[in-house]
Amino acid sequence: MQVTDRKTDLFTMLILRRRFEGIIREMAAVLARSGRSGILNTALDFSCSIVDRKMQSIASPVGLPVHVGSIHLIPQAVVRKFGDDVGPGDCFANNSGYHGNTHCADLTLCVPVFFDGKLAFYSIARAHLSDMGFPTPDTYSPLSKDYYQEGLQLPCIRIQRDFRDIPEVLDICKANIRAPEQFFGDYQAIVASVRTGEQRIQELVASYGVETVEDFLEDYQTYAETMAVNKIRALPGGRVSQETFYDSELDLYPDGIPVRAVLTVDPEAAIVEIDLTDNIDNVPLGINMNESTILACCVNAVLNVLGPEVPRSTGAFRRIKIVMREGSAIGLPKFPAATCAATTNLCHVLPEHIQSMFTRLRPDLGTAFATIGNPASCPGVSGTDSRHGDRPFVNQIMLGYWGGPALPGHDGWLTFGSGTTQGMLWQSSVELVEQQQPILVERLEISPDSGGAGEWEGGPGAHCIFQVRNDAVGFAVNAGGTQFPPGGAGGGLAAAPTRTWRIGTDGRRTEMPISFGETLQPGERLETHGCGGGGFGPPLRRDPALVAHRAREGWISEARAHDVYGVVLAGGSDALTVDVAATEARRASMSAATTSNSDGAQL
Amino acid sequence: MSPEIAVDVGGTFTDLVLRTGDGQVRTYKSSTTKLNIALGIFAGLDRIAADLGVTRGELLATCGSFACGTTIATNAILERKTARTALLCTMGFRDTLLIREGGKPNNFDMFVDYPDPLIPRSRTIGIDERINAEGGIERPLAEADVEGAVALMREWEVEAVAVALLWSIANPAHELRIGEILRSSLPGVPFSLSHRVNPTIREYRRTSAAALDASLKPVVQHHIHDLEERLRAAGFKGTLTFVTSNGGRASSEAIINKPVFICLSGPSGAPQAASRLVREEGIAEASGNIVCIDMGGTSLDVSVIQGWEIPSHREGSIGGHVFGVPSVDVETIGAGGGSIARVDAGGLIHSGPESAGAFPGPACYGRGGTLPTVTDANLVRGLLSPDNFAAGQIKLSVEAAVRAVREHVAEPLGMTVEDAANLICFTTEQNMVAAIEGMTVQKGLDPRSFVLVSGGAAGGLHAASLARELRIPTVLIPRAAGVLSAYGISTGDVKFNFTRSAFSSSVSFDFDRVGTVLAEIRKEAIDFLEGMGVPDERRHLSFSTQARYAGQVWHVTLGVPDGRIRDAEDLAALVEAFHVLHERLNSMRAEGDPVEFVEWDVLAVGRNVNASPPAEPQSTGPADSAERLRRVVHLRELDGPTAIPVYDGPRLCVGQVIEGPALIEDPLTVNLVPPRSTAVVTAQRGILLSLR
Repeated sequence: MQVTDRKTDLFTMLILRRRFEGIIREMAAVLARSGRSGILNTALDFSCSIVDRKMQSIASPVGLPVHVGSIHLIPQAVVRKFGDDVGPGDCFANNSGYHGNTHCADLTLCVPVFFDGKLAFYSIARAHLSDMGFPTPDTYSPLSKDYYQEGLQLPCIRIQRDFRDIPEVLDICKANIRAPEQFFGDYQAIVASVRTGEQRIQELVASYGVETVEDFLEDYQTYAETMAVNKIRALPGGRVSQETFYDSELDLYPDGIPVRAVLTVDPEAAIVEIDLTDNIDNVPLGINMNESTILACCVNAVLNVLGPEVPRSTGAFRRIKIVMREGSAIGLPKFPAATCAATTNLCHVLPEHIQSMFTRLRPDLGTAFATIGNPASCPGVSGTDSRHGDRPFVNQIMLGYWGGPALPGHDGWLTFGSGTTQGMLWQSSVELVEQQQPILVERLEISPDSGGAGEWEGGPGAHCIFQVRNDAVGFAVNAGGTQFPPGGAGGGLAAAPTRTWRIGTDGRRTEMPISFGETLQPGERLETHGCGGGGFGPPLRRDPALVAHRAREGWISEARAHDVYGVVLAGGSDALTVDVAATEARRASMSAATTSNSDGAQL
Repeated sequence: MSPEIAVDVGGTFTDLVLRTGDGQVRTYKSSTTKLNIALGIFAGLDRIAADLGVTRGELLATCGSFACGTTIATNAILERKTARTALLCTMGFRDTLLIREGGKPNNFDMFVDYPDPLIPRSRTIGIDERINAEGGIERPLAEADVEGAVALMREWEVEAVAVALLWSIANPAHELRIGEILRSSLPGVPFSLSHRVNPTIREYRRTSAAALDASLKPVVQHHIHDLEERLRAAGFKGTLTFVTSNGGRASSEAIINKPVFICLSGPSGAPQAASRLVREEGIAEASGNIVCIDMGGTSLDVSVIQGWEIPSHREGSIGGHVFGVPSVDVETIGAGGGSIARVDAGGLIHSGPESAGAFPGPACYGRGGTLPTVTDANLVRGLLSPDNFAAGQIKLSVEAAVRAVREHVAEPLGMTVEDAANLICFTTEQNMVAAIEGMTVQKGLDPRSFVLVSGGAAGGLHAASLARELRIPTVLIPRAAGVLSAYGISTGDVKFNFTRSAFSSSVSFDFDRVGTVLAEIRKEAIDFLEGMGVPDERRHLSFSTQARYAGQVWHVTLGVPDGRIRDAEDLAALVEAFHVLHERLNSMRAEGDPVEFVEWDVLAVGRNVNASPPAEPQSTGPADSAERLRRVVHLRELDGPTAIPVYDGPRLCVGQVIEGPALIEDPLTVNLVPPRSTAVVTAQRGILLSLR
């Protein structure tokens, strides 16, 4: 695009971009300050957005990747359902995977913003609540068999009229939600956020005029598109198809659930296409994805490869074509398939699955795989607390959600988690966890050797042990990456698998499946080794000094340094240094062995 | 009154302010000497002495107080030159400093490295012990583990030790016992106990504060002793104080014991100066709401003052490490004179955070820089004088500035060099406005009720534009703008915080326990003021608590009137005050919900008494006599190149009025009076801009 094609001068561009970003930041600040549940105010598991009447979204300076790229589905659902019956003072609530929402634990509120009697924008905020009326106290479960096992559903319904709550709707919510007061506090925080957005947008339009603002939005989307086009033109063209596996949770797929995609990069047309049609049918589990999470995963994965300069706005999304089919677990769900775990599980595999396909196009592109599933150090917990007069609690703990993927030039980000959140979630404090729940955390440290080896090493997972104190505590765990731990890319190796044990008061250890809901009795323990992130590039190319450093710091064992990295270390355990000559010799012989035996290429 | 000296040792310059016995204020600058800050300070003292026509010894002998703000702690942390420190933690939690609290600075940038912990894992030792949330002992302290750690630390030749155990705030017994063992087994090695340094819940913040504190002890102690000895040897007999992160002053002894208190020593002075000057000049008397900016070569510091209250918070961090003790809430962004502008592939312009710094510096410095910076843009706009920059110390090349702006901005965007220069400044100003909005609008404050106070060499050219964008009607550019922090230090109060952790809920309030805690910190505060020689009538104690609704995990700081909660009535008043505060901050109150109180704090203040400044010559006549020349400038608000008057700041008289557009040049700063504004020279010879 030529700069001169713009209707908006650059000064106005800069000012309006700042104003929109400022509004979104203010919405987020309001939400973070007044939310009640830990996942909202500690982990910051929420996003705020503005969408215009043409259903175009504006880059959000803050927010979760799994919420970006599909937020326009929310106002689309409002229009589809209510048509012209939308007025100032309305607010619509949505937690339905069949109405453009991510999953049932995310409550999304959407307020139409009117100016001069005309609908001009939508102010939207989405937050993961600690309880949204799921049948079990864990907000979502991969084991739900269908829609009817997902609890309270708000399929895009009006929750406020004339700026006032519709009491019947709130009554239904409270009647279905375990901690109604906490829910109502969180709900009010989300309302405050969208209403703040509404007011600020109206002030903005009033001071600049509808036309200027609309011209800016067009120009801004064109700008975002130009930035994306520019980056796609620099990519190598080609088509790659790839299959990875997600742990089997179903007799139907005893060898794992396949995740497939075909990636086509057309630099000339500046289009990236992701075809997901060759995926399996819906499964009778909550892990089925939906339109919202698929769009978000795909768009985010491609933009991660294009780099942070490209604004995450509709204009850039236009250059990414996503093909999916109805009735597929990685596609549009066919009613009544359950989608309550659509933001985790398969959704933890898909973004890096796409990113790692770029590595096959060119070895300096893409990333390895990140953490799959929430390890048991991030359980939903519930019960009553005898320290506080049997006060009931239900919360999601966020400890040890680590294991970032390695990528060219960088080891994995430690507190990354999965590609759906890519490091944005805040970690719980051990002390706050112990203050809010009758649990003792006995350990929270790096699990050595858990990050995938590679020229760039995956981030490690966590070794975590919970002990239940004087009250029984329900744990709801939704892990993954045990049978198929996060894979490497470009010759990098896979991470260690996630493993979880229940330890009885007699010390007996029972290994747990990846997903479970269990009540632990006083004195019992839950021990986890979380998977790490996958490695990137051949391990023998890793800088020996980095290998020695991580061995010294206890991230990796001396055995891994020797056996996998071919690095021979000298000196005592706290002063390890590289024996350069021995390392060169060992690497040469290892490399010769690999070449003569190279049929089994790594992913 | 005897003369007082205040010093702000910055990264590049050491700023000095002298307050003479009759209340006159004089400002000086010398170069900072990083290896030994005392040398730069003494060079500055020589300058003051020469100016007064006395010897350095005579100056120091008569000097009543010497207050020092310093970046020694900041630099030691940023440059990783702190002591070789070991961390003792609860077994099983060696990664607290590595994990931090999660989150990622830029959510959409994958191409970043994870930061190293403040103390490496290999020097972190887990000790078998465990205290629970209620302070009960789950596992007794294994003293053998501590002895083993001591042996290792001896072998490693550690210079300092941090001790941070889980729940030491609920029961400090294990930390205290380890302290005893360290004192006897590693004599001479300083250590810090987390429950003493920053008694807050959340193990990361407490551990990080203890780690910073311990690792700073040797270096801070060295610098402070050195400076103190040199000053005494040179004849100084007055009180030496250091500026803490909360903008107060404390004795060298207090700082050596808790060096974590000077992590943000320097920037805390500017908001103090702003608050005092606005009050003295009689501006915004009704509200006392001030946005204070300090714009230097690489960065902009912003702080927001409400109702004269210098904003303090507990979230302060340095180099990504939270130090957690109360500090003035100063936000720093990468926007300064050296910020580099670039145009992206989509035809949008960006400015900063990359900075050309002092070397190679802006293109116009002629030191090899070729990229366009804000300073280059201001030179192209005609706002800077090529011969008169930084008191004439640096000669600027207009040609080099034009070339940089043309090549990197004007040509790619198809605009004139002058428009491009305006665009560069505009972009930078947008970033600055966004930072200020983050501290006002996004916290529910309306900037229209604020005054903008501008400091720093680069502030005066942009302050009016920022104010207009934020709809702030009035801007004050103080005469000491070039040394604003040092000026603030010279007027600062004695201040120090004392904190204890003690959980109590409004539904089962423990009057005895909280009463004891409040009495303890009251005593510490009084002892501190006693030690600082503050007379009774100038002492002030300000109590507060960290409070929240049950279930919330973030706290708000709530004042505790008189520092006493005696009965149900006092408690009810406190709870109501919390509801009101929460509603003001977060737009909601939860009437029936229990309120939880987590920590108790007292800020001990010894008020400073400053002689009021002497009257300056007044004039209501025209400012023509101070007009130096007219210069052609290029401003967006003006239609094409326009010749505007340039005034000589030092020759302006109190009360004189200048209509914009005009420039006012001082030795260290240039200030723009933009079109549609009026400047008045204030009683203290600052410039007060009123925007229309």
